Amino acid sequence: MDNIIIMVNEQLLAQLEGLHTIETAMQITGLTKQSTLNLLSTLKKEQYLTTTGGGKQKRLYKITQLKQLPRSPGMFDLLNKYSPHMKLNPWYDHQVHGKYSVEDALIDAIKTKSFRVILVSLCLFSHITDWRKLHRLAKQHDCIQQVGALYDVARLYFRTKYFLFKSERKKDWIKLTQLEKKNFPSISEKWHVYIPFNEHDIRGEIV
Amino acid sequence: MITMNDQMTLFNLISKEIKRDIVCYAFGGNAMMFYGYKDETKDIDILFEHEEERTEFIRVIKQLGYSETSALKIYIPEKLRDPYRPLMFKTEESRFDLFVKKIFKTLLSPKMKEDFFAIHEFKNNNTLTVFVLRKEHLVLLKAITERDRDFEDIITITKKDKSFNWQYFIDEVIWQFQHGDSWVLYDTEKMLLELKKYIFIEEKYQKQLYGAVKIEEKIEKKKSNNPHNNKKLK
Repeated sequence: MDNIIIMVNEQLLAQLEGLHTIETAMQITGLTKQSTLNLLSTLKKEQYLTTTGGGKQKRLYKITQLKQLPRSPGMFDLLNKYSPHMKLNPWYDHQVHGKYSVEDALIDAIKTKSFRVILVSLCLFSHITDWRKLHRLAKQHDCIQQVGALYDVARLYFRTKYFLFKSERKKDWIKLTQLEKKNFPSISEKWHVYIPFNEHDIRGEIV
Repeated sequence: MITMNDQMTLFNLISKEIKRDIVCYAFGGNAMMFYGYKDETKDIDILFEHEEERTEFIRVIKQLGYSETSALKIYIPEKLRDPYRPLMFKTEESRFDLFVKKIFKTLLSPKMKEDFFAIHEFKNNNTLTVFVLRKEHLVLLKAITERDRDFEDIITITKKDKSFNWQYFIDEVIWQFQHGDSWVLYDTEKMLLELKKYIFIEEKYQKQLYGAVKIEEKIEKKKSNNPHNNKKLK
């Protein structure tokens, strides 16, 4: 008997997968409004359904065949929260269980070596409160040159607090991404860091 | 059996006790729970890159009540003779299978390191970072480990996930074969033949596996016919 119930659920889930209003869900299930609401409620309890909207807006039900587990915020969540225009579509699920600050997110962003992630991370400099922590983390992860260079670029476009990053410049040039471009030449030379994005990238996407 | 919440609590507890940062890769039933394929599991399969990380992890789970157990009735005898067999620790509810560097003969490939499903960082005094491998890698590793419930898990993944990338899977199998995993083709073929009873899999993927064997045989023949190689051998 249990197996039959599970099979019905799986079939139903396959049919219902996607975004629905109560009316579209009723059409698919062929049930009355109250029965459909009961079914959706069960699916929500079993974590197959999440809702958006409600109030003045139409309530939408997002149904998936896999459970929609609760998440802890990670790097992509913080970047998307603080980037006003350009949003990232994460290609992996990054979750941090414990304290996770903007400073941590900035270091993680640099470590991805992704053009878009690093470009968006410039926005984080306006929200950094613990500059000493950032400096300590940058030293710990051996990326003080990159943080210093990005900070200098961010100061040109965003309101950021003044912090003196000690320029512990090394002889080797460091690439932020795969590109070996020296945009912002003075900053690039100062930190020995290749800066892949130019003014148009920053103005067009994130300012 | 432990649930997703239990697992998160367990990892959190471990992260509080470890005395160094640890990076590991989840690929068993525990990884399936991160996807939402499963609600509970008994096996927590974890791969470490460094022996020191596994040693520290073991120290902590022993504190949490896990005791070492034998792999005798769980893995087939050939696998038990492998130097890269896991160390196993269990309580009544769950069991850790802890591998280092390799899962038997299977390597942690560059694709596994770069292209993963999720990262879960458990931050306390030190950080426990758990990489959750892609579903294609999960199926590959489950085909290799061949324990009781592994095939059921493979069916669950391939049935529930319509976006399962068979070409990606086969490419990884061939990469592993070319890098010294002599069992992987046999295990995969056996798994595919069995799986075909439950889901539709195009024949071209099996042909690619046979193709990989033929290429390898040609290379071996060339090597044995090459007089320079023979001289070196003498």
